[in-house]
Amino acid sequence: METILSVNNISKRYGKIQAVDDLSLEVKRGQVFGILGPNGSGKTTTLSIILELIKSNKGNFHWFGEPPSKESRKRIGSVIESPNFYPYLSPVNNLKIVAEIKDFDYADIERVLKLTGLYERRNSRFKTFSFGMKQRLAVASALLGNPDVMILDEPTNGLDPQGIAHIRELILLIASQGTTIIIASHLLDEVQKICTHVAVLDKGRKLFDGKVSEVLAVSDSFELSALNIETLKQTVALHPAFVSLIPIGEMILVYFKEDIQPAELNQFFFQKDVILSHLSERKRSLEQHFLELLEDNK
Amino acid sequence: MTKLLRIEFKKILTYKIFWILVGLYFIFLSAGILMAEFMINNMVDNMNKHLPIPVPHVAIYFFPWVWQNIAFFATIRYVLIFPAIVIIILVTNEYSFKTIRQNMINGMSKAEFLNSKLLLILLISVIMTIFVAIATLILGFSNTADVNLATVLEKSSFIFGFFVTILTFQIFALFFAFLMRNTGLSIAIFTLYVFIIEPILYYFLKSPIVFKNDISTYLPVNSVLRITEYPSIQVLKQVMGLNLQNTVSFWACCIPLGYAAVMIGIVYWVLSKRDL
Repeated sequence: METILSVNNISKRYGKIQAVDDLSLEVKRGQVFGILGPNGSGKTTTLSIILELIKSNKGNFHWFGEPPSKESRKRIGSVIESPNFYPYLSPVNNLKIVAEIKDFDYADIERVLKLTGLYERRNSRFKTFSFGMKQRLAVASALLGNPDVMILDEPTNGLDPQGIAHIRELILLIASQGTTIIIASHLLDEVQKICTHVAVLDKGRKLFDGKVSEVLAVSDSFELSALNIETLKQTVALHPAFVSLIPIGEMILVYFKEDIQPAELNQFFFQKDVILSHLSERKRSLEQHFLELLEDNK
Repeated sequence: MTKLLRIEFKKILTYKIFWILVGLYFIFLSAGILMAEFMINNMVDNMNKHLPIPVPHVAIYFFPWVWQNIAFFATIRYVLIFPAIVIIILVTNEYSFKTIRQNMINGMSKAEFLNSKLLLILLISVIMTIFVAIATLILGFSNTADVNLATVLEKSSFIFGFFVTILTFQIFALFFAFLMRNTGLSIAIFTLYVFIIEPILYYFLKSPIVFKNDISTYLPVNSVLRITEYPSIQVLKQVMGLNLQNTVSFWACCIPLGYAAVMIGIVYWVLSKRDL
């Protein structure tokens, strides 16, 4: 698959603070790539570096296999931190400036305003907008001209639940059209809902990256019960992924070392002539898991 | 180039503060040009109260001197400050709205961003020069009894002087704005420098006790204002003993243009070094 962005060993230091520490990333076409980390982990600094807003002290990066340039930036739609527009201009005029800079014609403005639900307010001045509307205009501006890549920095920060839902739906819609998306977030839940791939940052270092399903995989546990609990205990120990079990009343809680599908487990017992009377998957809380991951890498 | 100007137009087209300042500028400029003769004669009347031989009233709107006189009154500090403040606001707005960041993110280079502001300054200077030239021609033709082409054009080099003055003065303002980035601070410091700091430096440097040679002409704002040094009024020569300039000297234009070039260079350098 075509590499959209490759980041090689970039570092950025602000005085005593190492904001980004020897970070490497690779984003391929069609991925929804999450950069996950607590506040102050270097997410925004990383995005600012790849958008050439700030210079890194070390390392380099390539967009579309080429050194970064203003031409590559024209193919990227970005929503970084707060929505930055001319407050005295209407959304239409603000987007016309964006279109001029990116060498697009004005034809697409109507589409992106409708998509973000701002078409009715297209002629009001930007400063009369609520925060949610400002954020949606930022997304509209990023969508202009169907960019190859979208960069979103905490896109749902400060929005109400309805606004969050709207923005997430939009992101999923854009992703479904094949646009590569890079999204920075401190919300594990958000990354899990939206992203296909993830890199986890802490204090500017990359802890690990990979597919969301693998990196954020929660090694599941199952509650099981059968008519004959002793046979069940003996049988489950034969499962290749079995780790340990804890009896809880009439049930047992079983840990496996890898992701197991309930159906697969059910079939396994069925083949061994054990009929389950209860089978329930127990997920560990994602936040719990995330904190553990960070803790393990200290 | 036209693309950069189109972007600048979009930014100012519905910006009320810009148009209010431009309107005020035109009012002050026109008032300065039209009231100059009246004000001078008022001064002459006051002077005459103390003089044994009264000085006659002056006329300043006839060819060829009208070029020089209008160029002078259109470039006094109080009038020039308006386009300078407009430029400071337009540049520092980009920092306070963070739109300079957004422009870069969207695919503008830092050089293009600076160039777009320089093009706007150039355009404002050209428009103002045309306006002042037309005003000069109208005043000249309606106040000159004996008109011929040679007298009409004799001192027209002063309109070029006006162009250099308004161009370089705006570039000075641009320099302050890019370095300070904050609207209030830039306006305050620029105004303070133009009206107070440099005049103090000027008298300090002019004094022969400090420097043998008078280097006050090399002060940036003073070098701009010296392009058109005095209005061409004979009474000034007679009463105050001033040497009137006959034409805009090439060297007098070179000093402020040199400053402007250095300032643009510094802004380019600072922009390329500084994170946004």
